Amino acid sequence: MRELELYFGPQHLGMVGNFSITLQVEGDRVVKADANPGFLHRGFEKLMEQRSWIKNFPMVCRMNVVEPDSMEMIYAMGVEKLAGIEVPERAQFVRSIYLELARVGSHLFGLWAYANMLGFDTVAQWAMYHRDLVLDLFEELTGGRVYHIYIWPGGVRRDFPAGFEKRMVETLHSIGGCVPDYDDTFFNNSLFRSRASGVGTVTREQALRMGGSGQVLRATGVPFDVRKAEPYAAYSSVPWEVPTREKGDAYSRIWVVRDEMIESVHMIFKLLDSMPGGSVYTRIPNPFKWRIPEGDAYVRCESSRGELGLYLVSDGGDKPYRAHFRTPSYPHGLTVLEHALEGANISDVGNIMISLYVVAPEIDR
Amino acid sequence: MRDMGTLLEQLTSTFDGVRARLDDDGRMRLEAEKESVMSLLSFLRDSGFDFLQMVSCVDWIDRGSMELVYVLSSYPSTDGGSGDLLYCILKVELPRDRARTVSVIPLYECAEPYEREIHELFGVDFHGHPRLTPLLLEREYPVPPFRKDFDTRKYVSDFFDSIPPVEEEGGAQ
Repeated sequence: MRELELYFGPQHLGMVGNFSITLQVEGDRVVKADANPGFLHRGFEKLMEQRSWIKNFPMVCRMNVVEPDSMEMIYAMGVEKLAGIEVPERAQFVRSIYLELARVGSHLFGLWAYANMLGFDTVAQWAMYHRDLVLDLFEELTGGRVYHIYIWPGGVRRDFPAGFEKRMVETLHSIGGCVPDYDDTFFNNSLFRSRASGVGTVTREQALRMGGSGQVLRATGVPFDVRKAEPYAAYSSVPWEVPTREKGDAYSRIWVVRDEMIESVHMIFKLLDSMPGGSVYTRIPNPFKWRIPEGDAYVRCESSRGELGLYLVSDGGDKPYRAHFRTPSYPHGLTVLEHALEGANISDVGNIMISLYVVAPEIDR
Repeated sequence: MRDMGTLLEQLTSTFDGVRARLDDDGRMRLEAEKESVMSLLSFLRDSGFDFLQMVSCVDWIDRGSMELVYVLSSYPSTDGGSGDLLYCILKVELPRDRARTVSVIPLYECAEPYEREIHELFGVDFHGHPRLTPLLLEREYPVPPFRKDFDTRKYVSDFFDSIPPVEEEGGAQ
């Protein structure tokens, strides 16, 4: 049969985000896939070299539109490590709660994308609505709905406002109350099961070889989570589990996402229960004259998509000398995706891409 | 998993010209010549560093060198055992005007897009890389754009101010 070249995205209904894949197809089978990123390349890492340490916060959060909070966290962690700043205990708890809330929001957004792509429009609308409830909480806490710029070197910008914890718990309960509906309509739905199981399988051996992390790896039974492996913020203060599945296909990955969301909500409740008092930030030097000692550091945290890392270099000046982000979508969307697509059906391309949880702005930066 | 101290001793006795030290936070810091990268990385991989987190590049223009940074770590054992995780940062300096080295894809498959990006943004050549085609950018640049001597503002004003207006094609109407 004749081989054809087919462009999948950026203008394609099955494609979420500005990303494109060039497919070599024979009939409706994919012979070879070439990931083609760059539509969202804004050169943030270069631009960061021209702005002072503090002015980079509004920039880093824009690297991942879906979950900007982990980007703030990782940059703050990098700056804190280079400058040797201690973070007060209460701030660590506030950060963890804030990041878990962001994880729930981001997973709901991911669920929207996935359900929407597979044609489960009702579930997609529910997920979008519930994400909006989470965004309301962020709006109350930080003033912004999508980009929050809440985490700061040395802590967070402000403490929880009066009554915020109660409203957060209420919102999470109301979202959690819908889990049975989600299960019936989506996760346990036989239509969904037949559409997703056995699709885009990434074996454990492949995931480990290709630098996988997050759901891609946990869906193959490896309980790897940076929050456990190298705890930061307050993640070592409360008990929690790393959800895993065994098969490594799209179905397992989305189930890991579901379990993680529930685990995050439970974690928020536990963190709220053991929250210490005190200040939520350490005073830092005048940010407009702030010089950070020479050195380099690699820091990492668990974003909603896997391991997020930052290699940050200072030459002793008032700006970063070099910042390079290791985003989880980078190996997943370039290396893992190309392998997972080989031999797949054309109608599964979007399915596989979204189940790998690839978010395009993270790849391009 | 091996103890980091023993590993450090082994490294310095096996490889010539490798400078190694242990950081306060338990991360191993290595500096090596580019000729020994492959053998060193293969030794590290066999010692448990099975996770190449990223490959980065820093342009030290004052020193006249390009520094490649390999950030390595280990995955936890899949049987749920809790061995200590290993961390290592390996740095290799290349001369800025002849920035060439060998690709590490045979050892770590996930290095492929990182090396491709570094080739595009910093102009480092990786021998043995299967496709050093542009990854992110669309145009040709006079200097690889992430090098320190690439002036972003000047490029924008030179390039975008000079685009000729779209001319109407004669007789197209």
